[in-house]
Amino acid sequence: MSTEPPGGEPALAVELTGITKRFPGVVANSDVNIAVRPGTVHALVGENGAGKSTLMKILYGMQRPDEGAIAVNGSPVDFHSPADAIRAGIGMVHQHFMLADNLTVLENVVLGDEPRGGLGLDFAAARRRIREISEAYGLGVRPDRLVDELGVGERQRVEILKVLYRGARILILDEPTAVLVPQEVDELFGNLRDLKAEGLTILFISHKLDEVLSVADDITVMRRGTTVASVAPEETTARKLAELMVGSALPVPELRESTVTDRPVLTVANLTLADADGRKVLDDISFTIHAGEVLGIAGVEGNGQAELVEALMGIRKPDSGSVHLAGEDISRLSTRARRESGMGYIPEDRHRQGVLLEATLWENRVLGHQSRRPSARGPLIDRRSARADTQRIVETYDVRTPGIDVHASALSGGNQQKLIVGREMSGNPVVLIASHPTRGVDVGAQAAIWDHIRRARAEHLAVLLISADLDELIGMSDTLAVILRGRLVADYDPGTVTPQDLGSAMTGAGRDAE
Amino acid sequence: MSGGLAVGQQTAPAARRSRLSPMTYALIALGALLVLSAVRVITGAGDLTSTGSVQAALTAAVPIAMAALAGLWAERAGVINIGLEGMMVLGTFGAGYAGYQWGPWAGVVFGLLLGVLGGLLHAVATVTFGVDHIISGVAINLLAPGAALFLSKQFFADAAGGGQKQSPRIQDAEKVSVPGLPDLLGSIEDKRWFFVSDLAGILRGLTTQVSLLTVLAAVLIAGSAFVLWKTPLGLRLRSCGEAPVAAESLGVNVYKYKYLAVTASGAFAGLGGAILAVTSGQFRDGQTGGRGFIGLAAMIFGNWRPGGLATGAGLFGYTDALALRGSLAVHALLLLLAIALVVVAVWQYREGAPVLSAVSAAIGVLFAWWYFTSDGIPPELVGAAPYVVTILVLALASQRLRAPRAVGEVYRRGEGK
Ligand SMILES: Nc1ncnc2c1ncn2[C@@H]1O[C@H](COP(=O)(O)OP(=O)(O)OP(=O)(O)O)[C@@H](O)[C@H]1O
Ligand SMILES: [Mg+2]
Repeated sequence: MSTEPPGGEPALAVELTGITKRFPGVVANSDVNIAVRPGTVHALVGENGAGKSTLMKILYGMQRPDEGAIAVNGSPVDFHSPADAIRAGIGMVHQHFMLADNLTVLENVVLGDEPRGGLGLDFAAARRRIREISEAYGLGVRPDRLVDELGVGERQRVEILKVLYRGARILILDEPTAVLVPQEVDELFGNLRDLKAEGLTILFISHKLDEVLSVADDITVMRRGTTVASVAPEETTARKLAELMVGSALPVPELRESTVTDRPVLTVANLTLADADGRKVLDDISFTIHAGEVLGIAGVEGNGQAELVEALMGIRKPDSGSVHLAGEDISRLSTRARRESGMGYIPEDRHRQGVLLEATLWENRVLGHQSRRPSARGPLIDRRSARADTQRIVETYDVRTPGIDVHASALSGGNQQKLIVGREMSGNPVVLIASHPTRGVDVGAQAAIWDHIRRARAEHLAVLLISADLDELIGMSDTLAVILRGRLVADYDPGTVTPQDLGSAMTGAGRDAE
Repeated sequence: MSGGLAVGQQTAPAARRSRLSPMTYALIALGALLVLSAVRVITGAGDLTSTGSVQAALTAAVPIAMAALAGLWAERAGVINIGLEGMMVLGTFGAGYAGYQWGPWAGVVFGLLLGVLGGLLHAVATVTFGVDHIISGVAINLLAPGAALFLSKQFFADAAGGGQKQSPRIQDAEKVSVPGLPDLLGSIEDKRWFFVSDLAGILRGLTTQVSLLTVLAAVLIAGSAFVLWKTPLGLRLRSCGEAPVAAESLGVNVYKYKYLAVTASGAFAGLGGAILAVTSGQFRDGQTGGRGFIGLAAMIFGNWRPGGLATGAGLFGYTDALALRGSLAVHALLLLLAIALVVVAVWQYREGAPVLSAVSAAIGVLFAWWYFTSDGIPPELVGAAPYVVTILVLALASQRLRAPRAVGEVYRRGEGK
């Protein structure tokens, strides 16, 4: 293949030829060919487990391909580690956060490329650099925070800052927008366009097809480990893309008829929680969710959602206020007791709280249900029925896996998410606390998850839904509230509210305008 | 409305983690000293704050501090080094072998180098071959004393002043004093005034006839704090202990830094052993007596931080020194411990840990009762005092410890998940 195509066009920024990668029991990539033009945004879409992340990890030197060749800026390369890829000007934002919790933001950002001054690390220069980038791209990242204290949205922005800091010329972004609210996404896309104008090349993975259409110059569709189509965004629609990806139509989150009853299930009264500095992160929160009702909470990340959820699950102790489950006061119960009394919990960060990566799927199924049937009988784990039930989840939730004995780390991100949703929906929960339940799952699986929630709701499940996806919130909620600076500031009728209204209420702009 | 990607975020003042200020530390130290003097006056156990005790405490603390420092380097890079004890044994032998022939400093260097060998062995096993860290460490602990004994029979049995299980005498390292101070402080100490004399005694212990090896240890602890927290190398090393895959994804060669850390760990452990041999005048079989493990405990007590581990080692050295001074001092220690436990109880209560608080208070009362109903401590128990104190302090005071995230995990390159 020539490196200088006719017409004097510059060499391709990235050219992947015949890439094949096998894992035990799966072929993650088989004979993949992709050509990325320099100075463009190239989107990669495909169902969960299609092999997108694997392909990008190969390009980034994290994994070695079994077959195939990679060329960057026209010259063939052979990466043995990310260090080689970084040297070739490639930067990557991973699907799952690559951050050290116990280090500060600054340390995470400069790691591997530290400014030196005198004998040691030049902290002042690093801080200045990070502030500069953070301001230039509107990231609002505070360098001296401990990463442990950050929510998913801010972690995501730190990840983005990490690549910008390294001055990479080719950026790989693996689902950078999954937990960002629309305003944040718009801002990011504005930045991507600027970067593109500066000649950078961007490889972008997302399951949100509207986003893909609005930002991409070229789109490559992957299915079952190989590329099935290359399309231009002008010539396609989200519907057609969905059909190419998963072979089915685009789902719409929509609740048909109301199933709300007048039986309160989860009643929260005057919940207040202050952080270490005494600042209120939850300020007098009260609400009731009835059987068969979905309460959606909209908000920019960092306004108390994470704390609210953790307080409800008994992970954090609120300073005051009470939580009642079906009339019983559970404010002082442990997390396990709460789960046993029927609370399901889909956490916002699946790797930190949802799964054990180095445990098998069926062991992960037992987690959180370790004291209940079918996972346990008496004091012992009931291996046989736990496995049988895992098999059921794998089938009903379409978790793509070679078996239930593989480690969770062998699943693609979206499939891990499906497993968690399946686990939390089993055992007939009476309340489901769901943070970003469809984070990282493809459009087909999204529809399936929504269906499951809808069906459970018809059977009187109460749901607290937190999501960055406003369409999901509006479509799935019976009642909508906005959380801002730890307070529930406004209620909306999902039947009439628009994403724009919600968006401005979330930033407090709606209030200012009043 | 523009706020960038961080729209609508709460602009809180950067949340500082609540770490104690230097002022608070000074106040705590002052309080401890006051209690110490009071107990000294009540019990009449002058040894509690005497120059001799403090000197003995320093001598006992240094090898433990070096072991703890060795643990710190390894664990910060994610490798558990339970083989410290064995590496110290190698250090004691090395010091014995080179020390009696070419002087204490040659002994120190040689002990350190043997420790490096032990560290390299541990690194090869855990980093390259992915052996479980504990298994490799235990193997080293089993191997090293045997090897040391074998070598000592080979080299020392026929040497003048040596034997099957011990080396000939090693000369001690040079000692220094701060000029002028000792006499002045000594005269104050002799007055036996409340607080003032105690302070003088402690200061005199810290400034008189201090071995250069002790000075070296202090420099190494401070140096480690600088290297690990203020330099790129330290940041990379720590990132391997917190999130190796993240480090790898940023181009950090995790293997390299783990090797470096475990080798350094071996060097510090070997040095600790060497210092032990040199200060006690010779190599003896079984000389380390579990100091490697106690060093690990001191490191954990110190929350994987240099200042903390130095405090832990100091505490252990102090009780050890008192145990050597005999029954009266250990008896006084009972009262001291009782008071300390009551303080811990109050503090834990305020932290919202009523159960721990109750346990501390109960044990504290028990010790007080023991103190007031007895005149001494059975000699059999005297030697156990340092261990008892360590366990109590570890269990009751340090509840919010945070180990490096990925410590003990076997890491393999290219499995980035
Ligand atoms: N470390 C691994 N060991 C075994 N199998 C793996 C491993 N990593 C990925 N796979 C398998 O490779 C396939 C492709 O996974 P990949 O993560 O690339 O999917 P993806 O397209 O990124 O999906 P998603 O949209 O869910 O993130 C999946 O079938 C997955 O199970
Ligand atoms: Mg993926």
